[in-house]
Amino acid sequence: MESLTKIWNWMPALLKASGVTLELTVASVLTALVLGIFLALGKISKNKPIKWLSSAYIFFFRGTPLLLQLFFIYYSIPMMVPALTIQSRFVSAWIAFSLNVAAYLAEIIRAAIQSVDKGQLEASKSLGLTYAQSMRLVIIPQAYRRMIPPICNEFVMVLKDTSLVAIIAVTDLTFQARIIASNKASTLVYIPVMIIYLILTGIFTTVFNRLEKKFSVYE
Amino acid sequence: MSIIRTEHLSKSFGSLQVLKDINLSVEQGEVIVIIGPSGAGKSTFLRSLNELETITGGKIFIDEQLVEERKHGHVVFTLPPKEKAAYLLEMGMVFQRFNLFPHKTAAENVMLAPINVKNVTKEEARARAEALLTKVGLEDKFDEYPSKLSGGQQQRVAIARALAMEPKIMLFDEPTSALDPELVGDVLKVMQELAEDGMTMLVVSHEMGFAKGVADRVLFMCDGIIAEEGSPDEIFSNPQNPRTKQFLNVIL
Repeated sequence: MESLTKIWNWMPALLKASGVTLELTVASVLTALVLGIFLALGKISKNKPIKWLSSAYIFFFRGTPLLLQLFFIYYSIPMMVPALTIQSRFVSAWIAFSLNVAAYLAEIIRAAIQSVDKGQLEASKSLGLTYAQSMRLVIIPQAYRRMIPPICNEFVMVLKDTSLVAIIAVTDLTFQARIIASNKASTLVYIPVMIIYLILTGIFTTVFNRLEKKFSVYE
Repeated sequence: MSIIRTEHLSKSFGSLQVLKDINLSVEQGEVIVIIGPSGAGKSTFLRSLNELETITGGKIFIDEQLVEERKHGHVVFTLPPKEKAAYLLEMGMVFQRFNLFPHKTAAENVMLAPINVKNVTKEEARARAEALLTKVGLEDKFDEYPSKLSGGQQQRVAIARALAMEPKIMLFDEPTSALDPELVGDVLKVMQELAEDGMTMLVVSHEMGFAKGVADRVLFMCDGIIAEEGSPDEIFSNPQNPRTKQFLNVIL
């Protein structure tokens, strides 16, 4: 009973921190989606410099640890170029996550686009659609559904990876839990925290399952 | 006046020369059936005409206008992109595997290109799509998705979709080879009606009945050239080229 009261008292702080975790995840993945579409189109582009740049970007952000990228954006860049100092830790974290996740999403989107049958592009071309129209009206709408499960997966991974931001002292759910654990000398706090993470991933999964159904009407 | 004419058309994939020297003139209203063994270059030839494949050499004329000329893979002449696109629109194509857009209903498949390429209003495109789908015998399938249609029905939607762009010539790339035998007849019937309406058609097909009944000319393609051509009667009853004879013996 005493434990329950304790947990109850921690809830306001934990919920506030959950908000940070959720905001960071959603903001990062949405930004990364936009960036990822351009990177994916760049990577399958016939324009050599664009293709090379997109590939190099993906190679870099997938090939180095997210933690280092976070350090680099928060500590190194302001040291090298003071004009690029970002006051808000949250914004730093948001930028680092967006840039990193974009590289993964780009590969997901590219694979989905390339999995659409080649005949679709040929049919579009034979009907007089331009390449851009074919992508927008024919290829990408078919790729959506195939992207949904791996993007959902990415969402869940990012949600958990955001716990890394503790390193630059952004008070997310995990960091808050550690603060409480050390201040109150009670490791009990990890139980409600894990439950909150489960609820959040549960919500994402449900939303994405609905989306997948919605995009499957024609199958 | 020819609708499509090719001079010394050639096409190589790397070191493999698929088309060697194709000279063909398709006149308005003509129905031409191309037969020949697999690997003869029949599909590649059709696909070269509407630029699904880039030619290696030769000239392509549409409506007597030189559209593309290449030599050893290099462009000698090409129309500006917008002008060329307008000429390419004179060709409609039907594919072996239909290539319908699975996320669009039958009517939407037919409406997509007129709305986005020709800026036709939605209402107008819909009315036209319904008329075309009715013409191919699918008056009760306007709002079905392709996955709910049989192969023969899908191919008829594909024909309607190509017709919606009001082409002057229709290219058919083995339109019935992916169909179950009992569904072939419906598609051939639509093609025959199209021919009777005066549509110019270039058909790659092994449907000999269709070739005999509908074609004005039959071409026998082999090893990247047109090895023999003539009326269906001449080709089927009295072939001159030994390769034609051999081929017809195998398939008839």
